[in-house]
Amino acid sequence: MSQMISHSKLRLFDAIEGGSPFWLNEISLHGSDTVVTKILEGRYEGISESSPRIRQRLQQKNIAQLLHQVEESQSIFISSESQDWPIQMEALAAPPIGLLIRGNRSLLTELDRSLSLVGTRNPSAYGVRIAGDFAIGVTDHSWSVVSGGAYGIDATAHRAALLNGGSTVAVLAGGFNHNYPAAHTDLFAEIAQEGLLISEVMPDVPAEPFRFLTRNRIIAALSRGTVVIEAAYRSGSLRTARDAAEIFRQVMAVPGPINSPTSAGCHRLIAERSAELVTSISDVLELVNPLGS
Amino acid sequence: MGLEGHLITIEVDVADGIPNFTLLGLPDAALSESRDRVKSAIINSHLEWPHRKVTVALSPAYLPKSGSSFDLAIALAILFSTGAITMDSQPPTIFIGELGLDGEVRPVRGVLPALLAARARGIERAFIPLANAAESHLVENLEIIPISSLAQVHAFFAEGLLPDSLVREEPTADPAEMLDMEDLAGQEGARRALEIAAIGGHHLLLMGPPGTGKTMLAQRFPSILPSLTQEEALEVTAIHSVAGKTFTPGRGIPRPFIAPHHSTTAPAMVGGGARFIRPGACSLAHHGVLFIDEAPEMSPGVLDALRQPLESGEVAITRSIGTICYPANFLLVLAANPCPCGNFAGKGRGCTCSALQVRRYLQKISGPLMDRIDIRIFVDPPSRVEMLQTTPGENSSTIRARVERARTRSAQRFYGLGWQLNSQIPAKALRKDFRAEKPAMNLLHDELERGLLSARGVHKVLRVAWSLCDLRSGSIPTLEDVNEALSLRSSLRVAP
Repeated sequence: MSQMISHSKLRLFDAIEGGSPFWLNEISLHGSDTVVTKILEGRYEGISESSPRIRQRLQQKNIAQLLHQVEESQSIFISSESQDWPIQMEALAAPPIGLLIRGNRSLLTELDRSLSLVGTRNPSAYGVRIAGDFAIGVTDHSWSVVSGGAYGIDATAHRAALLNGGSTVAVLAGGFNHNYPAAHTDLFAEIAQEGLLISEVMPDVPAEPFRFLTRNRIIAALSRGTVVIEAAYRSGSLRTARDAAEIFRQVMAVPGPINSPTSAGCHRLIAERSAELVTSISDVLELVNPLGS
Repeated sequence: MGLEGHLITIEVDVADGIPNFTLLGLPDAALSESRDRVKSAIINSHLEWPHRKVTVALSPAYLPKSGSSFDLAIALAILFSTGAITMDSQPPTIFIGELGLDGEVRPVRGVLPALLAARARGIERAFIPLANAAESHLVENLEIIPISSLAQVHAFFAEGLLPDSLVREEPTADPAEMLDMEDLAGQEGARRALEIAAIGGHHLLLMGPPGTGKTMLAQRFPSILPSLTQEEALEVTAIHSVAGKTFTPGRGIPRPFIAPHHSTTAPAMVGGGARFIRPGACSLAHHGVLFIDEAPEMSPGVLDALRQPLESGEVAITRSIGTICYPANFLLVLAANPCPCGNFAGKGRGCTCSALQVRRYLQKISGPLMDRIDIRIFVDPPSRVEMLQTTPGENSSTIRARVERARTRSAQRFYGLGWQLNSQIPAKALRKDFRAEKPAMNLLHDELERGLLSARGVHKVLRVAWSLCDLRSGSIPTLEDVNEALSLRSSLRVAP
């Protein structure tokens, strides 16, 4: 699918850190071309703290460099101008300016039949089992799995989906040139082969801690619902759950033993009525897909 | 008698008189019939039968004798007394074997213990049935001549011809035929429990719904245990020989795996019989694994009969003819469904049992027996992911190497103390020299005070914790080891 790339979008994508409602609002009001011009003219000085840095970045990098960088990383830049832009992301307060993708592009339009499976990086044997069973269940119904790229539940869910011959989507916090964590290099390569890798940053941007939080909103927005398999009382997965709830996506949590620290976060979500309690993949599908559509 | 062999001397007198054949020396029915077998065998081997008054005496006369293994010796004694063969300048020789009517030499029970007893009494050469040749390989310093017919023995003494079958090939266990842990999909928890049980010699209970692989796991248990030592192999083969079963020893021999059905009776389990006291399943499993599937279905009396061997490592069986002691030092693996219908697992939707039935099911395994089982785990069905995985699990030889290393550690620690395995540490030693780290002991004392663990339970947990410690090459069990040992003891989802 050959499509026009919005050059100004790519430049803004490179210069502006994701997750900022202000800039997204400016772009949707004035269009990306105008915003680029305004930044370069310094008309946001005093309005946005980040504008000098963004201006500097825009001046440093020309479009040819950016296009070359994208091509070199064997990825494709998409934005709302693209035909297959996942529109479900527009529900976010700050939808991404664009995304870099690598892998099976046709999956982008099929994500209305996908589920996010998230959880701790240090799961118990129980969590590993449930993550695997749920990923198998999701792919059995020809749905796709969406998750991050971390150790633990994320990796378990991807691996199970691939093992079952299904589709899986990994949303990474860092650029494609940094395989983070490095131990998942092979896993990411396999996902790029059979599924789809997504990133909200340029290929050489490292995975800084704050990027995991902004990345979580994409995991929440891409799919029909988010299932927290296992999460500690304070866990990044709870952030994903709240992001999903904010845009009225179904949030679900799998209970565990009450004395298991890796289930405390799930129990918290259930107790606060933030998540539906689910004990099987049919519970999940009934909630996200009530009429079996 | 039991595993102990007695040397029987056979005397023959051929005298003038009415042709007759008398057998003396407390023979049983099978031995009395020996007269007819011997006579037919001699005649059908084209040898001369003395048509005179033949008297055969088996001494010592007071010892009751049974079975057919004296046939060959009686026949040879007769041939010797009629002058058909001579035995001048021959070394002391023993003859063992049953004769067919056509002169064939057939296999008998107990050849190995008989050979051991013979060697101990200065016998230098043995003629044994060819079919028993395998078990004879373990006996050193004894010339063994396997034969298949009476004619061959005659040829040996009359013409000095050796039978063709004299080549001694030492059989070796074929590793390809052994069941391997790599055949199992997933089951990480159960694999680890098995490994710990192998290290410390802990008895094991596997609970889980039907089809989860409990039997597959148990069958592969011998494959991760260290091979039998020469001495152990001798004991095991002797028991199997007495029971009339073949246990083919060789190098790198796996330990025996005996799986009696749950309908097994007490005599079959611990041994018994009227005239000849046969070793039972638990002695056949000596130095190996005794696996009882569907343990709650077994009659409680039969299960409880295992308590004595579990305690002392041997069974003493007393009958009118005397008391026989068979060794029975085995690793017990019990398997049980979670309830009579087997479906009380997962969401438990298919289960048709009442709460009371579920409760009572496991109680069929008596408290005192359950008390001797250090590791009790729930075996979940393999997950879909595990079933789809094509990479095989860790293979048995890798696990066995770890088990052997850990066992070496514990054997060194216990050097000179009188026991080898963690499961054998006496309670007194656990209280003094083999405690865990302070925080771990505090945890156990808490559990004891709160009544969650009995004093005996504390000891069991400590023994398993030592095995966990040996596995990670630690020097003293930590809080983590004790916690894992606790969970290995109580991870059944149905409270015992």
